[in-house]
Amino acid sequence: MTAISQNQDPKPLVEIKELKKYFPIHKGFMRREVGAVRAVDDVSFYINEGETVGLVGESGCGKTTTARCIVKAIDATAGEIMYRTVDGSTVDLTQLSNAEMRPLRRDIQMIFQDPFSSLNPRMTIFEIISEPLLVNNIGTRQEREDRVHELLNQVGLRQEFMQRFPHAFSGGQRQRIGIARALAAQPRLIIADEPVSGLDVSVQAQVINLMMDLQDDFSLTYLFVSHDLNVINQISDRVVVMYVGRVVEVGTPKELFSSPKHPYTAALISALPKPDPKQKRQRTVLEGEVANPAAPPAGCYFHPRCPHAIELCKTEAPGMEEISPGRFVSCHRASELDLAGVSIPASAD
Amino acid sequence: MTRSDEASRNPLLQIKGLETHFFTDEGTVRAVDGAEFEVYAGRTLGIVGESGCGKSVTAKSILQIVDRPGRVVDGEIIYRPRAEPERDLLKLGANSHEMRTVRGGEISMIFQEPISSFSPVHTFGNQIIEAIKLHTDLNNDEAYDLAVNWLERVGIPNPQQRLSEYPHQFSGGQRQRAMIAMALCTNPRILIADEPTTALDVTTQAQILDLLLQLRDENEMAIIFITHDLGVIAEIADDVAVMYLGQVVETAPVEEIFESPKHPYTIALLNSIPSMAAAPRDRLPSITGAIPHPQNRPPGCPFHPRCPSFIPDVCNQREPSNTMIDSDRKVRCFLHEAI
Repeated sequence: MTAISQNQDPKPLVEIKELKKYFPIHKGFMRREVGAVRAVDDVSFYINEGETVGLVGESGCGKTTTARCIVKAIDATAGEIMYRTVDGSTVDLTQLSNAEMRPLRRDIQMIFQDPFSSLNPRMTIFEIISEPLLVNNIGTRQEREDRVHELLNQVGLRQEFMQRFPHAFSGGQRQRIGIARALAAQPRLIIADEPVSGLDVSVQAQVINLMMDLQDDFSLTYLFVSHDLNVINQISDRVVVMYVGRVVEVGTPKELFSSPKHPYTAALISALPKPDPKQKRQRTVLEGEVANPAAPPAGCYFHPRCPHAIELCKTEAPGMEEISPGRFVSCHRASELDLAGVSIPASAD
Repeated sequence: MTRSDEASRNPLLQIKGLETHFFTDEGTVRAVDGAEFEVYAGRTLGIVGESGCGKSVTAKSILQIVDRPGRVVDGEIIYRPRAEPERDLLKLGANSHEMRTVRGGEISMIFQEPISSFSPVHTFGNQIIEAIKLHTDLNNDEAYDLAVNWLERVGIPNPQQRLSEYPHQFSGGQRQRAMIAMALCTNPRILIADEPTTALDVTTQAQILDLLLQLRDENEMAIIFITHDLGVIAEIADDVAVMYLGQVVETAPVEEIFESPKHPYTIALLNSIPSMAAAPRDRLPSITGAIPHPQNRPPGCPFHPRCPSFIPDVCNQREPSNTMIDSDRKVRCFLHEAI
């Protein structure tokens, strides 16, 4: 299997190699281990400095688990997460102890999906945003206050809000607070787990625009996790598509969505409701449901739902192939299939 | 697609000036504030709007199942089934025998979270058979057969076995299918679907949308489909009502909403959807500001603080009326009102 890796310079900021995370299933009186949920099952991709990588897939495909492994909120079962530190050396995050991880935690921050449960209701906005500074021993009280002022400005909130509590804010404002908190310690990499999924479309657009502006201003690197292909297309430089714990396709949004190579990517695109009543659907509606990660099918995990499956797909899992520079597909029939991507409305008639 | 003359004269359901208010300790919230729209047999009305715009409360008002402290305070809900005389549902008591026949029997509803709409301690079979027996004269065996038949129609494999299982044993998509079977087994004239696919993955959502359209055509029923997703609206709706802060600001056939939206809010909403056809990394046009808190409803037109076409001393002074701009289009905006 060709691992997905970046060979030329610049070296990636983060390189995930064959990452696995299994959650054991216990059963019975003795709590014996009877199996494992393979939430992340051999995931490899890289994130270059300054780019946005979109991680997309349906619920249960392991995208959030992958993100949580990278911030070390949970420990990976196997695999490597190679992170290039500020001084240019490369460390494997999975091998670090908590103490060794500590100085690096400043660099990698997270934004969460639910702005209602990710802010402590008993802390003021000042306390919430300055907490990353406090735990990392950055600045005096006055400096922290100035920094929070600056951050509130940057995310488009008024400074008077500092002494208020989260309940006084709307969903979009809370997500801005979450972004300000993530920015406080001047991180290099921000992992955003479905940051706009809970927001209304009008507010969603504001938050996406804000995230793109902040990226340009502070040369941030994003890993943007979402199930929404439209949002992923809008914000990403490169996209990683996951299905049942595995990466099925990697490419730029343009390549991926205009000419998908994996039948799953094509099915996702075709299932997406198009905001155009004239464009009559020519759907390949997928039969059945997402495979159970505790008992995945043999061979290619997608074969029971795949309209193009052949005998080989039922027995042998396809390897990852680089079909053009930076474009990876994991499908036995990638080269022979001609799959439909996003049809541009003009050509629909 | 044109409506047949007979249908256009007689909407199956007509909502007029609906007002549903919530009387809280902090003050009165006008969740639905003069909503008006019509529902026709065999067609799908999509109600679209952002959170807090009153779309779910409108649906619950039709069935008179608004949670306290909410109450329908004004308006008419005229229901015109083919064989019977028309009735104003609001004149029937919420617990009257007549309303209970309509609710679940003639007008059914499905919800976003099917897991919370089922009882966790009864088998799915018990629940669907109870619903059938409540609204028909069938005996146990006949009701069982009908339940099996409906599960097959909504695409659930092994219906006999599934009937003896509990709701938690169903997957998300299966549960929504089961919910649809339960709502439709009494052959309702109208199905109200409140965000039925929002919690589902796109591939499952596509299956459910196709199923709903197929069942609508087979049963000649009307669907009121509530969603915040304009993409879903484009796929499923024939007519669209756009809601903002408790009011229907624009109604039109679906093609016209997308082709020539009239209300500034509709226009802004359509512009802010991220699209696959757009170039990556483009900035999205966004609506400035946020939806006002329902207790601080702006005076005049509720959209004026965020509106790009705001007319000073007009929009913030008076409320625009619902203006007919075409035989099948209405818009609530001063830009389209003959002054």
